[in-house]
Amino acid sequence: MGQRRVYKIWAVAAALAVLLWQPAAAQTQKGTLVFAVESLSAQTLDPILEGRPGNAIYQAAMYDSLVGFDVDKGGIGPGVAEWWELSDDGLLWTFHLRKGLKFHNSDPVTAHDAKFSLERQMSEPSLASAKATLRRIVKSIEAVDDLTLRIEMASPQIGLPSSLSRAVATEGAIMPKAYIEKVGEEEFRKKPIGSGPWKFVRSVPGDRIEFEAVDYPHFRGTPHFKELHILLVPEESTRVSMVRTGEAAIASIGPESLQSAARGGLQVLSVPGTMQAVFQFWGAYRPEFKDSPIAKPRVRQALSLAIDRKQIIEHVMNGKASMPYPFAAFGYTEYFNAPKWKKWSEEAYRYDPAAAKQMLAEAGYPNGFELNFLNTALPGTQFMTDVGTAVADMWNKAGIKVNIKNYEWGSFAPLSRGDQPQLAGNASMYRTVGRPDMPWRYDGGFAVTSEHHLLGDKVNCDATCQEFGKIYNDLLAERDPAKRTELTDRMVELVANTWIAVPILEGMGYYAVNAGKAGQFAAIPGRHELGDVFERIPRPDEKPWKK
Amino acid sequence: MSIPASASPKPAPETLRPAIPALAWIPRLLRRSRRRRVPWIPICIIAIMVSMALFAPLLAPYSPIDQTLRDKLIPPFWVDGGGIDHVLGTDAFGRDMLSRLIYGARVSLIVAALALTAGGGVGLVIGIVSGYFGGAVDNALMRLVDAAFTFPAILFALLLAVTMGQGLGTLVLAISLLLWASFARVIRGEVLSLKQRDFVALAKVRGCSSARIMLTHILPNVLNTFMVLVTLNIGVVIIAEASLSFLGAGIPPPTPTWGLMVSDGRGRIAEAWWVSLIPGIAITLLVLSVNVFGDWLRDRLDPRLRQL
Amino acid sequence: MKRYIVYRLLQGVVLLCLVATIVFFLGRLTGNPVDLMLPEDATPADRMAMIKALGLDGSLFQQFTIFVGNALHGDLGTSIRMRQPAVEAFFSRLPNTLAIIPWALLLAMCVGIPLGVIAALNRGNMIDRAAGTVAVLGIAMPSFWLGILLIYVFSVELGWLPSGRMGGPEHYVLPVITLGAFLVAGFMRLVRSSMLEVMESEFVKLARIKGLSESVVIWKHCLRNALIPVLTLWGVFVGNLITGAIVTETVFAWPGIGRLTYEAVIFRDFPLLQAVIILKAILILSINLVVDILYAYVDPRIRLA
Repeated sequence: MGQRRVYKIWAVAAALAVLLWQPAAAQTQKGTLVFAVESLSAQTLDPILEGRPGNAIYQAAMYDSLVGFDVDKGGIGPGVAEWWELSDDGLLWTFHLRKGLKFHNSDPVTAHDAKFSLERQMSEPSLASAKATLRRIVKSIEAVDDLTLRIEMASPQIGLPSSLSRAVATEGAIMPKAYIEKVGEEEFRKKPIGSGPWKFVRSVPGDRIEFEAVDYPHFRGTPHFKELHILLVPEESTRVSMVRTGEAAIASIGPESLQSAARGGLQVLSVPGTMQAVFQFWGAYRPEFKDSPIAKPRVRQALSLAIDRKQIIEHVMNGKASMPYPFAAFGYTEYFNAPKWKKWSEEAYRYDPAAAKQMLAEAGYPNGFELNFLNTALPGTQFMTDVGTAVADMWNKAGIKVNIKNYEWGSFAPLSRGDQPQLAGNASMYRTVGRPDMPWRYDGGFAVTSEHHLLGDKVNCDATCQEFGKIYNDLLAERDPAKRTELTDRMVELVANTWIAVPILEGMGYYAVNAGKAGQFAAIPGRHELGDVFERIPRPDEKPWKK
Repeated sequence: MSIPASASPKPAPETLRPAIPALAWIPRLLRRSRRRRVPWIPICIIAIMVSMALFAPLLAPYSPIDQTLRDKLIPPFWVDGGGIDHVLGTDAFGRDMLSRLIYGARVSLIVAALALTAGGGVGLVIGIVSGYFGGAVDNALMRLVDAAFTFPAILFALLLAVTMGQGLGTLVLAISLLLWASFARVIRGEVLSLKQRDFVALAKVRGCSSARIMLTHILPNVLNTFMVLVTLNIGVVIIAEASLSFLGAGIPPPTPTWGLMVSDGRGRIAEAWWVSLIPGIAITLLVLSVNVFGDWLRDRLDPRLRQL
Repeated sequence: MKRYIVYRLLQGVVLLCLVATIVFFLGRLTGNPVDLMLPEDATPADRMAMIKALGLDGSLFQQFTIFVGNALHGDLGTSIRMRQPAVEAFFSRLPNTLAIIPWALLLAMCVGIPLGVIAALNRGNMIDRAAGTVAVLGIAMPSFWLGILLIYVFSVELGWLPSGRMGGPEHYVLPVITLGAFLVAGFMRLVRSSMLEVMESEFVKLARIKGLSESVVIWKHCLRNALIPVLTLWGVFVGNLITGAIVTETVFAWPGIGRLTYEAVIFRDFPLLQAVIILKAILILSINLVVDILYAYVDPRIRLA
C-alpha cells in the first residue's frame, strides 16, 4: 500500500518535472514583431546574391556570420567562430567554431559548412561585393576538423575577421553545405535554411518577409517573439503612421521624422556611430588645378572652419548626431586612440568664421571664390542632401559663391570613375559607414590605385601621397597592436592635415518604436541595421533589455 | 485609341430646359440672367498668381533660398508661436514660406509656360500636318503618338531626370513629352473635320500651297481648340511637376517650386503642417481655377469642343 | 471587322518593337546598376568582377542582339537586383495593381457620372459650376499629397483605417479613393458633353414630342447613349492606371507594378525595366484593342472612320 503511494508520488513528480523542464523559450515566445523598412534591396534569401544592406537588415535574422559583433561596444566579437588566431607570419588565420550549433533542419554547423560558404561566396555566380578581392588574398581554405577552420592568405591581412563579419558585407554568412548540395541552388533559394535565431517562413516580393523564431536557445539570443515580419514601406511618412497606429512596432526613419515620431508618442531609438557625413575635394593634386583655391590646404581648412556643425546637428539632424572623429573613425574603431582624437576634433572642427575669413584672405581670396559643389545622398542616408544644402549656405555666407547641384546617387556614382571629369577641381558630399576597421576605407579613398584617389594618382603623387602609401603598407603588415595604433595615428594625422576629406558630423541610425508593441532595447553601436538585434528585443510586457 | 469626333458640327442651343423638376427650382432661384456666368473667382485667383510670378522680387519679403537654421519651422502668424516676421511661417531650413510661395509661383508658371509652348507647339504642328496630309504621313505620325501613349509618361520623365540630371531643362523636356501626344491627337481630329469645309476646298482650287493653307486657313481655326487645351493642361503640368518632385526627379533644391515644397513637407504633416499644406492649397487653387476657367472657355468658344 | 483587328494587331507589334528599342537604349544611358550594388569603398577590380557576373560587359550592340534573341523566345532577361526572371517579377506584382484598378474606376464612375448628369441638366448656372469644381478637385490635388493627408486623417488621427500595404478590404479604401479621385473629372466632363449632345439630338426631341415623361427621356434615352463614349475612357484610364499609380503605390506601400517600374529606374535594373515596359505596353495595347473592338461593334460610324 505504502509502496504504491510512493510510486504514485514519484509518477506525479516525474510528470511535473517533465512539464517544467520544457525549453524555457517555448513558454515565453509569443506575438509578432513587425518592422517596417524603407528597402529590402534584392529581397533574396541567398547570401551570395544580396549586398550589404539587405544582408544586414533581413538575412541576418536567419543566417549567422562567422564573426559576430561586440554587442556592447560595437566592433567585432564572437560569432559562429568563438575565437580566432593569427599565425606568427601573419599568413594563416585559424577560426575555432563553437560547439553545438545547428541549422534549421537540425544538421550541425561545422567548419565544413564555413569552408563551403566562403567558397560559394567566391564562386562565379556570386554577387559578393568583395569577391575579386577575396579571391586575390585568400590562398586556401581548409576545414581541419569539425570545429576548426584554417584560411591561408596570399599576403598578410590583419583585417580578415572584420570582412567575415556582417560589419562589412555578406561574405561571412554560414550556409548549410549538406542541404544545398542535396537540394540544389534553385530549391535552396525557394526554401532557404540557415542557423540563425529565426527560421524562414515566406517572402512576398515587394511586400514583406516573414520569419518564425527557433524554439531552442540560440547564442545570439533567443527571440522573445514568435514571429518576425519585415515589411517594405518605401514612404517614410507612411512608416511613421504605421508605427503610430501600431501596425508596425518599429520603423526606420530619417532625422526629419524624429519630431513627428516624438509628437506621436513614439519612442525614438538612435544608434550612434553609424556613418559620417563628409565633404571632399576631388583631383586637387592635379597640375591643372595648381592655382585653384581648392589646391591649397589652408583654403580647405578655412572652408571647414566656416561650417557651424553644431547648428547643423541641432537643426538639420534634430540634435541626434554628434561631432565627428577624424575621417572614417568612430569610438569603436580598432587600434585607434579615440579619446585623444576626440579632443583633437573638438578643436579642429570648431566653428570659427573669423579665422576662416582670415585664412582665406591670407591665401589670396579676401572676397571669396567660386566653388562647384555636388550634393548627393548615398542609399540609406537621405538626409545627406539636407546637410549639403546647409553647408553650401554657410559657405555662401562666408563669401564663397557656391554652385550647388543635386545628384541622385545613381547619377553621381559613375562620376567618380576614371578621369572624374565632372568632379575634378570641385567639392562634393560623401560619407563613410561605420566599420570597425579603418585602414580599408583610407585605402579606398586615398590610395593611388583606388577609385577615388583623392591624394594623388599614378602620375601625380607628391610627398604626402607617397608617405600615405608607405604608412598604409606598413600598417597592413604590422602585427604588434601598439605599433598598429601608432601607425594608425600617423595615417589619420596625415590625412586630417590635408583637409581633403573632412567630416561634417557623425550620424546615427534612427528608429521609431511603438512602446506598446515592442519593449525597450538598445542597438549595437555602429550597426545601423537591426538584423542582429531582433532576437534581443523584448515584448512590451517584459523587462527592458539592458546591456 | 480614338475618342470619336462628332459626325458634324451642331449649333449651340440657346436655351436648355432644366429637365428633372426636382432639380429645376434651384437654378430658377439662382439664375439672374441667361448669360453664362463669367467665372470671376477663378479669374481673380489666376491673376493673383500670375502677378506673384511676375513681380516676385518686389513682393517677396525675404530671399527664398536664404537659410536661417535657428528660425526653422516657425508657424504662420495666426498660430501660437508665429509672428508677422514670417507671415506664413518658415520651413525646415528657416526659409520664409511666403517668399518661397511667391517665387515658387514664378518657377511653376515658367515651367508650365515653357512646357506648354514646347509640348503644345509640337503637338499643334504635328496635329495639323498629320490631319491635313492624311495618308502615310498621318499613319506614321499617329503611330508615333500611339507609342507616346503606350510609354509611361512619368517613367520617361524619370529616365530623363536620371540621365540628364535634374534641372529646369530636363523637367520642361519631360513634361513636354507628356503633352505633345494628346495635343496632336485632338488637333488632328479638329483638322480632319476642318479639311472637309468649303473654304479649304476653295483655297485649294485657287492654287494655294499646302503650307499656306495650313498656316492661314487651318491654323486660325484650331486656335480655339488649342487655347482650351492649353488651359486644361496647365493643371496637368503643375501636378506633373509636383509628382516628379515627389519622386525625386523634379527641379532640385534650393530652387523653390510648389511641388517641391509640398514634397519636402510631407513628413511633417503632424507638427509642421504649414510647410506642406500651404503650397498644396496653392496648387489646388490654381489648378482648380484654371480648369474651371478652361471649362467655361470651352463652353463659350466652341460648343463643338465638348469632346474635350 | 476581321481586317480591322488584324490591322490593329500588326500596328501593335510595330509599336512594341519601337517601344522596346527605345527603352533598351534609353535605359542603358542612365548609368550602371553595379554602382548601386557596391559599397562606396569597393575596388575597381571588384567592380569589374561584378559587371562580368551580371553580364553587363560587352558592347551595347552585342547586348542588344542578345536581348532581341532572348525576347523572341519569351525570355525578357533576369532582373539584376532581384535575380529572378523579369517576366516572373512582373507577373507576380501585376495582380496587386489589377486589384485596385476596377475599384478606382467604379468609384470614379459612381461619383463622376452623376456629377456629369447634374451638370448637363443645369447647364450654365451655379450648379453646373459647382459640379465641375467638385469633379476637378480630384485632379487639382497632387495625388501623393491627397494620399498622405488621407493617411494622416483617417489612419493616424481617427484610427479608422490602416496606413497602407495590401490586406483586407479596409486596406483598399484609401488607395482607391486616391486613385479614383484623379479620374472623376474625366468621367464628369465626358458625360456632361455627351449628355448635352444627346439631349439636343433628333430622337430625343422625338421622344419628347411623343409625350414621354422627362424622367424616361433623361434616364432611358439620353443617359444610355451618353454612356457609350465612356467606354473609350475606360481604355484610356486603365492604361493610365497601369502605367501610372507609381505615386499611390509608393505612398500606400502597395506592391504593384507602378512601384516596380520606379525601382527599376532608380536601381538601373535594365532587364526589369525593359520587361516591365514591354509587358505593360502589351497589356495596354490589348486593352485598347478590346475597347476599340467593342466600340466599333456598338457604333458603326467608327469602323468606317
